[in-house]
Amino acid sequence: MPVTDSETPGEPDKRVSLQEPPVPGEQSAAAAAVELHGISKDFGSNRALDQVDLRIGHGEVVGLLGQNGSGKSTLVKILAGVYDPEPGGRLLVGGEEIALPLAPGQASQIGLSFVYQNLALAGGLSVLENLTLGQRIGGGLSSWEPINWIAEHRAGAAVLDRYDVKLDLDRRTGDLAPVDQARLAIVRAAEDLRRYRTRSGYKHSVLVLDEPTVFLPEAEIDRLFDLIRTVVAEGAAVLFVSHDLAAVRAITDRVVVLRDGRVVGEGVTADMPEEQLVDLIVGAPARPGESVPAETTPVEDQQAVALTVAAMESAGDSAAAGENVLVEHLTDERLRDLSFQIGAGEILGVAGLIGSGAEELPYLLFGARPAGFGVLRLGAESIDIGRLSPARSVRERIALVPADRGVLGLSQELTLWENIVMLVEREHYRRGIFRRGELIALAREAIGRFLIRPPRAQNVVSTFSGGNQQKALVAKWLLARPRLLLLHEPTQGVDVGARRDIYRFVKSAAALHHMAVLWVTTEFGELAEVCDRVIVVTQGRHTATLTGDELTEEAISAAALRQTREDNR
Amino acid sequence: MTAPAPVDQARQEERRAERSGTSLWRTGLQRYAILIVFAVMIAVFGIDLPKTFLSIGNLSNILGSQAPLFILVMAVLLPTVVGDFVDLSLGSSLGLAAMTLAVLNVQHHWPVLLACLAGIGAAVIVGLVNVLFVVFFDNDPFIVTLGTMTIAQGAIYIVSGSNSVGIVSTNLSNWIFTYDFLSIPLVFYYGLAIFLVVWYVLSFTPTGQRALVIGQSREVARLSGVRVNRQRSWAYILGAGIAALAGIAYAGSNGTVDPTAGSALILPAFAAVFLGATAIKPGRINALGALIAVYFLATGTAGLELLGAQTYYQQIFYGAALVAAVTIPKVNRERFFKRRRAA
Repeated sequence: MPVTDSETPGEPDKRVSLQEPPVPGEQSAAAAAVELHGISKDFGSNRALDQVDLRIGHGEVVGLLGQNGSGKSTLVKILAGVYDPEPGGRLLVGGEEIALPLAPGQASQIGLSFVYQNLALAGGLSVLENLTLGQRIGGGLSSWEPINWIAEHRAGAAVLDRYDVKLDLDRRTGDLAPVDQARLAIVRAAEDLRRYRTRSGYKHSVLVLDEPTVFLPEAEIDRLFDLIRTVVAEGAAVLFVSHDLAAVRAITDRVVVLRDGRVVGEGVTADMPEEQLVDLIVGAPARPGESVPAETTPVEDQQAVALTVAAMESAGDSAAAGENVLVEHLTDERLRDLSFQIGAGEILGVAGLIGSGAEELPYLLFGARPAGFGVLRLGAESIDIGRLSPARSVRERIALVPADRGVLGLSQELTLWENIVMLVEREHYRRGIFRRGELIALAREAIGRFLIRPPRAQNVVSTFSGGNQQKALVAKWLLARPRLLLLHEPTQGVDVGARRDIYRFVKSAAALHHMAVLWVTTEFGELAEVCDRVIVVTQGRHTATLTGDELTEEAISAAALRQTREDNR
Repeated sequence: MTAPAPVDQARQEERRAERSGTSLWRTGLQRYAILIVFAVMIAVFGIDLPKTFLSIGNLSNILGSQAPLFILVMAVLLPTVVGDFVDLSLGSSLGLAAMTLAVLNVQHHWPVLLACLAGIGAAVIVGLVNVLFVVFFDNDPFIVTLGTMTIAQGAIYIVSGSNSVGIVSTNLSNWIFTYDFLSIPLVFYYGLAIFLVVWYVLSFTPTGQRALVIGQSREVARLSGVRVNRQRSWAYILGAGIAALAGIAYAGSNGTVDPTAGSALILPAFAAVFLGATAIKPGRINALGALIAVYFLATGTAGLELLGAQTYYQQIFYGAALVAAVTIPKVNRERFFKRRRAA
């Protein structure tokens, strides 16, 4: 299969002609396990998938590669019957045409089985119970048929044997190592497929693995791959969805690369040099310095930050002068000896794919999760990260804006004003009297300056939209006048307008408060836009630093992908 | 991932705006609903029984006789506010404190003040055991306090030989029940004082505000630097201590202590706390609401009693009020109990 030139991504028609024409209604060897033709999907005016073709042959492992937002998940969800594709697309399973859209649950009837990142295992049940769960619920067994646990046990052991997976059937699933949980989920899915083939007499069946390696330690991935090879030997084809180049290169026969909802290239894995794959995934050949970063006008939004700056000056803060932040030798389960510096007033971006360990950073530096080892130097102070607790961090004025604002960031059932002033309440409690009026006035002022809509201090937080909640969360922490601000996915699920506002607030806070900011996200375009400097974390290591002209979305993505590959060499 | 369609988002915003614009009238009605029902109830009983129900004697009876329950409600309030919804053992703590006091005072002739302190100590020990198993070992509070409740109840039967113990020092009963101020027994004012302290701390100090945040969402509190477990521990210990005060009030009011005293009071106390959460600050456990609720229930039972109803009708009244208490906020604010599980 020739590789489509990455410079001309918009010609899907050419590729189709290169494939075997499908022979409907025939169980011929030529018929692929699954074929998709011209699949498109629109979300509003946004085209998530554009005329995508995909073919998975018998006993083939096909890698589906692409960045976040490239359309991988959308394609998987169409196969699973979650999304309805736009009319015009065709789906052929074992050469037979299946009408689209698929109904939810129909996928298993046509020989498709899915393993998602979260594995869908019941952690409290035993391995055996999880293994047989699928048959109990969807396998057509009567709800009242008595369960012969001894026979089940024997059958379960035989299944594990067949896939050469050694697990204790009576173990609590939640106690298994992550890789064993993943293997259990795959065995279960593969077993469902095998039963399907026995029942229907078809040869085809496809196991779809959606980002299965993300949370697995490097060393254990091989055990997962062994299992995938066994599954293929048993007769299933595999669609391996991932953004992890190393994993895809290790296990797949063929790769298909998606970008912006289109297939931009495909070919035999062994024939695709790594550089070429990176270029295909990222887009234009990502050589640093080629594209000019978006004009970075220093936005000093006096409006929003004046409030906190004034408070800071009146409190006579030493931090007002600005302090450098130094993180040294930070180590935990995922991060390995990570060291970096954030200057006063600097916004440092951290780029890393999911599972790289980057997403742990803000929580470790805040003490929200126990870290193994590390030192945090805040100005002249030196803090043992291993012993940090949130209470201590708040006292040291370290701020954390967590990704999950609904559960971790804001108390949904309290009012807006109560949430905003949560951290400064103590300053308004004097001589036994709680200055509620002062607090509400302060909150109202913050609501105005941080453009929170509707400006109703007494409404409970859950009635506000995501963007406004996020602004409130940023306001809450900025009112505490942090010395170090940690942000994790601060614009997740936030509309464009609020996103701009949050960029402005953080930029001006960094500039006027001289505070150090750590911005962790998988949206690399965002990092390119707001950060002064970006460090790349892969496999828990600091592998690259990008500054100045290198700060483009493409360059950051490429750095994150490339380093993964080199580490796995 | 792809963003949701802008149309959907706009619609969502609209719906949010609608919801947040719930009319003041409705929230006001919800806030004072219990007061309205309270007033209607007083009017109905008053019209039915003008001589007996609307008398100083009855008022004194309601305020005085229900004071131990009222104090117990304040005890129940504390762990409930920080999100540990059911400290079942508080009833037994009350009983244990009262029984310790009675046994030491009556059978071992301890000075009454010392016996009181011993009673408080016994209850606080129960509280500490709860802290150990609920907070430190991170167990489900329902299961642990179910256990400690049963154990404390067993201890009560052991020390009392499963008999009522009396009569406690008249000094105690005088200063609790016999002496009055404005013809209401002193115990009511003790309860009022405890209420004022609890109310002040919960509503007018950062500590109370933090307790509220813990109760609403423990993780948010933790990530805002609140020492969640420390505050939960204090809630259990102080709750047990206040329950002991309720036990002393009970012993002083009745003179004799019945081994089943605590278990009879705990259900009405929960009824009052949850009913109170539907009033004044709907959806929130609050002290003022609980104050109103407990006297709402007391007035209801007193009225039924005057009408000649047997005590088991009062039980039905309490039970019905408890069910109503948990249902009313669900009707008005569906999310009231969802957060309870989310924590």
